Amino acid sequence: MENDKPRKHRAVESRHAPFVQRTVTEIWLEKSTSDNPYIASQVYCHGYDLLELMKQRSFAEVLFLLFIGELPTAQQTQLLEATMVGLITPGPRHPATRAAMSAAVGKTNPLHILPIGTAVLGGNYLGAGTIEEVMNFFHQYQSSDVDSTFKELIQREKNHPNQIPGFGKRYGGTDPIAADIAAHLASLDAAGKALIWGEQLANKLAPFGQGWLITGVAAAVFTDLGIPSHLGGPLYQLMSAPGLLAQAAELIKKPITAMPFVTDDQYHVER
Amino acid sequence: MNLNKTPLDDEIIEKLNDRRNKIVSRTGGWFAGKGVYSHGYSMLDELVGHKSYFQILILNATGKLVERNIADCVEAIYGCLSWPDPRIWCNQIGALAGAARTSPITATVMGCLATDSKAYGVLPIADCARFIQQALKKIQSGMSIEQLLEETFAANNGKKFVVGYKRPIAKGDERIVTMEKVCKTLGISEGPHLELAYDIEKVLMEEFDESMNIGGYVAALLSDQDFSADEIYQLLSTLVASGVTACYLDVLHQPTDSFLPLRCDDMDYQGKPPRSLPKKTIGAD
Repeated sequence: MENDKPRKHRAVESRHAPFVQRTVTEIWLEKSTSDNPYIASQVYCHGYDLLELMKQRSFAEVLFLLFIGELPTAQQTQLLEATMVGLITPGPRHPATRAAMSAAVGKTNPLHILPIGTAVLGGNYLGAGTIEEVMNFFHQYQSSDVDSTFKELIQREKNHPNQIPGFGKRYGGTDPIAADIAAHLASLDAAGKALIWGEQLANKLAPFGQGWLITGVAAAVFTDLGIPSHLGGPLYQLMSAPGLLAQAAELIKKPITAMPFVTDDQYHVER
Repeated sequence: MNLNKTPLDDEIIEKLNDRRNKIVSRTGGWFAGKGVYSHGYSMLDELVGHKSYFQILILNATGKLVERNIADCVEAIYGCLSWPDPRIWCNQIGALAGAARTSPITATVMGCLATDSKAYGVLPIADCARFIQQALKKIQSGMSIEQLLEETFAANNGKKFVVGYKRPIAKGDERIVTMEKVCKTLGISEGPHLELAYDIEKVLMEEFDESMNIGGYVAALLSDQDFSADEIYQLLSTLVASGVTACYLDVLHQPTDSFLPLRCDDMDYQGKPPRSLPKKTIGAD
């Protein structure tokens, strides 16, 4: 219906929202020099002097400190470091790595490779986009009996375990690498409820040809380390970033012919 | 190693093998010496020079070749939602990219990425579309606007919030007035989604002094043009691009460190006070 008369609208006015004058941080303290308030002469991460951390602590320990606010125990450090190795690359066949490689062989500015790769890794299929949901799944079920939970989960799906967050099939089969990584991590001292419960669930799923997905393993570790669920996905992107970059780096100096280009006769338009 | 191979797996492997080194597209592609096609149209013979850029953009985003006036309307929406003000969060990313001397593409694309936000930008417009499309079905099934709002508030844990209404920073939305004029000029009439959106606004204005925001307006307007919520999300993907570029350039051409400089104490540190690093013991904590 067309209105000839213009509609009346509320006049626009500011809400005068109470924005803060300064942004609060509990992570990083910068103390300025006495003569220049813009130059920091001492910096602290959750209270620890950065130079002292450099001398005495590993990268993984300081990474944990950044996100959790306290230094990890030796056991937590071991679990985190092993996880960072296990997740260091999604492998050259993952869409995120291929996106990074495509950028590199296409002579994209190398500074854009990581943003491109990590952004694609943020997807909801076998990517960081699933981690929060999987972590919430562990939080919901990890204290429950795995047998009864398994029954409950498969009843929802007509006696078949479809769509259990963090578990499933890869290319129609199980992912043995994800299973091996999970088994190792679950054997470490800092493995908590999520990893151990996840191992039990994976065993239940085996007769259905399903098992751990690597995103599920990552989510279980992050849950056990006390990482907030909403940070699990970004942390997964961060941990996989080295592999995205390394795989792309192989192609930076190579010609554009160094990756396949599908021929016209293999390009089918279906309409 | 768990190798639970089943007959079903063989079928999947066969299907995957069939797709190796092959692209199957439902959209189109470029065939050297023959042409380039999008949704059945020859790009170079039927689209470029014959259709506007926004007609082509909407075609690529939705598969629908719309009339010129609808494309012009979407173009106006892009104009209304892309301002050169660096206080807006996506634009501030552009401005900071200028401060950091990135490329213009980095600045613009990262600003667009920021609008995948629950608070502002493109994502909420898709939510608005979902709401108004479902709301219209309910109203057409006999539900009253009051019942609709009651149900919506209940779904929001009692919070008196309806997506598409209320706006951060300000009350009222001057962009709706502009879009109404644009639509009148383009001969685009109000449809049932937009009429319902205004009816909801009337109730919310009377009860809470909260009016429709541009996201709610755009969602209803485009819903009346038979776009789904997902299609609206898709065709608005780069909605804020030009405003971000403008903010980037503004700062790029100013001296380094001059965009909102922060002294050390401009960050309000409320964490642990400086403390000594505990001695590390091997094998125990």
